[in-house]
Amino acid sequence: MPDHTKNDLTSNGMQCQEFDNLLSDALDGAVSGLQLDRFHAHARSCSACGPLLAEVEAGRNWLKDLTEVEPPAGLVNNILASTTGVDTQRLRLNVGAPARVSSAGPSWWERAQAWASDALQPVWGTVRQPRFAMSFGMAFFSISVALSVLGVKNTDLRQLSLRPTAIRHTYYNTQARVVRYYDNIKLVYEVQAAVRELKRNVTPAEPAPGESAPDKKEHKNDTTQQPEQKQERNYSQRDTNVILANAPLGPSVFDPSNPDLPVVSVTTYRRFV
Amino acid sequence: MEDVQVTAMLVRRCIAGDAAAWEEIVQNYNRRIYNICYRFAGSANDAEDLTQEVFIKMYRTLASYDSSKGAFVTWVTTITRNLLVDHFRKTKQDRLTDSLDAPVSAQEDAQPLSEQIHDQSAPPDSRVRSREASEAVHAALGKLSPELREAVILRDLQDFDYREIATVLKVPEGTVKSRINRGRAELARLLQRTYRQVM
Repeated sequence: MPDHTKNDLTSNGMQCQEFDNLLSDALDGAVSGLQLDRFHAHARSCSACGPLLAEVEAGRNWLKDLTEVEPPAGLVNNILASTTGVDTQRLRLNVGAPARVSSAGPSWWERAQAWASDALQPVWGTVRQPRFAMSFGMAFFSISVALSVLGVKNTDLRQLSLRPTAIRHTYYNTQARVVRYYDNIKLVYEVQAAVRELKRNVTPAEPAPGESAPDKKEHKNDTTQQPEQKQERNYSQRDTNVILANAPLGPSVFDPSNPDLPVVSVTTYRRFV
Repeated sequence: MEDVQVTAMLVRRCIAGDAAAWEEIVQNYNRRIYNICYRFAGSANDAEDLTQEVFIKMYRTLASYDSSKGAFVTWVTTITRNLLVDHFRKTKQDRLTDSLDAPVSAQEDAQPLSEQIHDQSAPPDSRVRSREASEAVHAALGKLSPELREAVILRDLQDFDYREIATVLKVPEGTVKSRINRGRAELARLLQRTYRQVM
């Protein structure tokens, strides 16, 4: 840009700033009439804007003469190969015949691969993250440990037959094994119950072991720290407590052969000391 | 001027997975994009690589094109320009290193473009149509700053109007005009200096 003051005024009243603004339009032929006359008058009279107009016009003429260059022959094929994913090697061989390449297009297998790649890209990108890889690793480790604990071996899996008849056979075998196991358990329980019943019938009756237990339990819960009071002492403490005793006299109080004998029953009031 | 409806249909077909539509787009625009890249980068190899990159980016972001916001060619040129700016920034360090390694006589103030003009008998006329003159203009274009270079390329080589250039460069139209004028003037000064040297 020439070194001049933008607010310089020439004799026609146009400023250099206005001249600059009009410069492009004037060269494009978009300025006409009085404004164009003022523009040219300023260019003639201004020592900075005149040479500027000449330089800009010369530069534009130089650029006008610059012709378009021809792109390389294989450019289109390379672009198509790098964008649509068509086999690059095949395209490179066919650089001289772009029409053939464009008409051939990708095969169904290449399209399927491209589709699968596009579809799986987000999933695969997520899975490749370290935290997901760690989780999958841990899950695999857990499953391996669980299988080894359950006794599943690789050799078992290798010998596993997946034919429908074999699968059906395995199913019925497993079902029969489960039923047999259940029946065996049932028999064992029945035998055990019969033995227990037999024992109970053979063994003489015993006092129930739990009869005195409630007293012990009551004493166990006694937290008064008082000495245990015996039943007799308790009775002697209260003179008013009268115990009614009714006992038969003699070895045979009642003889069925002599029904006339009086039956005497003695009732005494006795005080326990 | 492109037919907006036809291009919009072409883009829709391409988004739907029509390989033929994409090929048509490549056929229609590869020449324009290659020329922009070649004039900006200055090298045929760089231009080829950059053109491929532009189409790869275009292919990936084709669904984001909105025909109501502007012409397809403006969208394509914007992608191209952004990639060129990125490329310029990436290779800036390499260019600085190269200039440090270059001999003093090859620097701009000594003999800027004379080494690239082999036929000294070519006339220094403003209407020179020879191949050497084209090479000289191309070399001078490479000497401009990126801001001025992209503006004059879009205006004088690609015939974009000021509004389209303003959209692509994301600057006001006044700035576009100013850059174009400064670029043209700078180019003329460089070429005048060149021919003064070779005469």
